[in-house]
Amino acid sequence: MSDTEHLVKHLPNDIGGAGCHEKISITERPLYPWEKRCHALLDVLDYHKIVNTEEKRRGTENLGTEMAGKLTYYEKWIVSASNCLLQKGILTPDQIADKTKEVSERFNIKM
Amino acid sequence: MSNDHTHTHSDHAPILHDEVPCYYEILEISIRELLVEKGLIGPEEIREQIEVLDSRSPALGAKLVARAWVDPEFRKRLLDNGVDAALEMGITSYDDTDFTVLENTDKVHHMIVCTLCSCYPRPILGLPPDWYKSKEYRSRAVREPRAVLAEFGTILPDEIKIVVNDSTANQRYMVLPLRPKGTEHFTEEQLEALVTRDVMIGVKVLHN
Repeated sequence: MSDTEHLVKHLPNDIGGAGCHEKISITERPLYPWEKRCHALLDVLDYHKIVNTEEKRRGTENLGTEMAGKLTYYEKWIVSASNCLLQKGILTPDQIADKTKEVSERFNIKM
Repeated sequence: MSNDHTHTHSDHAPILHDEVPCYYEILEISIRELLVEKGLIGPEEIREQIEVLDSRSPALGAKLVARAWVDPEFRKRLLDNGVDAALEMGITSYDDTDFTVLENTDKVHHMIVCTLCSCYPRPILGLPPDWYKSKEYRSRAVREPRAVLAEFGTILPDEIKIVVNDSTANQRYMVLPLRPKGTEHFTEEQLEALVTRDVMIGVKVLHN
């Protein structure tokens, strides 16, 4: 097998059988409120066919291996949604930048 | 909060905004507000969907399992078409996915996973636990299911075949466990109480 073949055959999230040997962390926790809102937002975007489930999934795949490994589950979802909305021209980078600044100021956070 | 808010708070602690939202929460709020401002989604739709999510839990799956145990005709219909059988019990699917119920036998034990992401029968079992979405569970379940089951305290005899069912965006699974011996005189409600989420994912078994 060539050195790079596995990169072509397996996208970052296609990890079935990938040589992982770590123990499973069997813990339970409720979702944070923003995580549940994020889940609901993506469901609503799917209902309206603005961003469907497959587009969202592909969006998380396209984040690349580093982000796939470091971001938490719903962090990936919201970044994927944001990228999908930008790619479709539904939102613009400026609109997101202005809005995140406004929201941050609401919480007295300096961006 | 307005100043005319006078009722007593003695019955519960006030909810304080003392946690600073993280970058991703800011992004979530921003995107939601932008989409509402553009009229692409309604302001009440997120709250309504949260209510839908909160109304789904493993108790619904347990109802299907208990009914299948007491009613052989229902069991057949459940195995034949999970979506229609759930509807019979008043459980609607909100995500337009196929729902297949996998029956354990004396010889075969089923477990479910989503190696690609986190596909799960959410309308029937609610939202999945973190470990179901973890890279450890997703990557190992298909390669060494017995070792994975052992971490959940489930040790199955070698002669029992383990079938690992990989879910997709359109196809969701749930396990119909074996009815424990000694429950012949249980009511349907008593049977429901035996059935846990992990049993319906297939990482645990009910003890005989």
